Amino acid sequence: MYRRSFKDTRSSLGSPNPNFSKPMVALRFLRALSLVRRSGLGACSPSYRARGIRRAAYACMAASAGPRRAWSRALLRKIRRRPGRGLRRPRAVIWRHRPVGGGDRLEVALRRLVPGGGCMEYCRLLEEAADYVKCLAMQVRLMQTIVDSASHV
Amino acid sequence: MEPPRSSGVGIDNSGEYSPEIAETLRFEEEIQSLIHPSSFDGSAAPTGGGSFTALLGLPANQAVELLHDSGAREPLASRIRVGEHPVHRPFHLPLDCSSAFPSNATLVDRAARFSVFAAEGSPASSSGRLKAEPQDSDSPPLDPIPTGPAKRKDTGRSKAKVTAKKSKNAEENTDGDKLPYVHVRARRGQATDNHSLAERARREKINARMKLLQELVPGCSKITGTALVLDEIINHVQTLQRQVEFLSMRLAAVNPRIDFSSLDSYLSAECGPVTVRNGPGGVVVDPSLWPTDATAEATRRLLVPQFWHIDLVPPQLQPQQSLTTWERDGAAHSQLLPNPTTSLFLYDPANSGDTNVPHRTAKLKTAEDRALNL
Repeated sequence: MYRRSFKDTRSSLGSPNPNFSKPMVALRFLRALSLVRRSGLGACSPSYRARGIRRAAYACMAASAGPRRAWSRALLRKIRRRPGRGLRRPRAVIWRHRPVGGGDRLEVALRRLVPGGGCMEYCRLLEEAADYVKCLAMQVRLMQTIVDSASHV
Repeated sequence: MEPPRSSGVGIDNSGEYSPEIAETLRFEEEIQSLIHPSSFDGSAAPTGGGSFTALLGLPANQAVELLHDSGAREPLASRIRVGEHPVHRPFHLPLDCSSAFPSNATLVDRAARFSVFAAEGSPASSSGRLKAEPQDSDSPPLDPIPTGPAKRKDTGRSKAKVTAKKSKNAEENTDGDKLPYVHVRARRGQATDNHSLAERARREKINARMKLLQELVPGCSKITGTALVLDEIINHVQTLQRQVEFLSMRLAAVNPRIDFSSLDSYLSAECGPVTVRNGPGGVVVDPSLWPTDATAEATRRLLVPQFWHIDLVPPQLQPQQSLTTWERDGAAHSQLLPNPTTSLFLYDPANSGDTNVPHRTAKLKTAEDRALNL
């Protein structure tokens, strides 16, 4: 569903690169939500739906962040890779600039948190983390708003 | 007669020579000295150092002088990615492209603030070609060289030079963000070692990014110390991710009551012109940059036409009633919504009470189930 929402939103909207286009995220997310909902009205169980919604949320976030960001690319790759792929074939990931040692426990933790943070240099990691945090915060605010408005009425 | 240069001549430097030989040797020397600059010139031509003299507004001869002074040394361009602080570094007129600057791209973020040049060097000891070089140096800037291991740095000779030009050059270099090479001068009283320069620049970069992060994360500004800040950042990210999960659970619980599809169509109509305004280039960018989308999976292909088909239905069914509901409820709910940023949310409550969208066909359902397959 998120894939679909990507494709059509991509064709119809285009994605402005700056992250401040909250309407874009909102639109994408709402579309994704409607798709989730349409998928048989709550496909079996709320937890299943919740997972789908979560993936939709991340996908929308990544899509609206733009392809220029390493984390958004990595996130989308991760999302799209899951269904069916598993470990079908060893993915030849080109680990560019494999970080040395990973001495800092904090640094390692940050790498694990930020999508795509495994093979970035430290400076880029910080940069991507900043963008990721910004995007995440926006997404959380968006979802909070939706839930609030939904539960009010 | 001075002994000939053994470099190209291949003659022993021993003993004396007959006058004619000496003459010829000297002649050869001169010729070689002429050749070398020309060879430098040949190689420097494509690589010049950016129109720095133009930037500096120096007349060519002054540049020549400066270049002469810097002489031909082992010039190194530090492959430094300069950080964000405006650091005052004395200039070095780079155009001694005399320096064999490797085409290592030293990308500059805020090159403008630094008295740095982008230059690409070829060992041009003589300065005669400087006029040609400055113009040519514009070409390399667009040429980011892959990060090779060779880090070089300007050995600071004319540190004192051109300090007066610093400000001018800084202004001129405002668009120097594109210039890939950075010649960085060490600050006063700091080690001018290659490594320490590079490390210092790197550290500054990292510090700048950390400051950015600190601003983003609430409550981090008061904390001093990198480790604690990082800790706080990590906590924040984890919190946000947990919130996303939690909210998605809530949304899943709430979801059946909400009708998004008509909302969708309306919003897309609404936001169509908006997107055009925002990022007309985005549409072009996306298809090329998301090649993974091109590998459409079967489900997606299956779903898309269905999606569009279905989406067309609601607008025709409920255009008027949705509009009226929005008008009716828009005003009432505007205060309800905490989020002032977008007007989209005005429409949310308007639709939440609408009749449910009729169930979709079983075909669509199974297709989406496949898509949703987790």
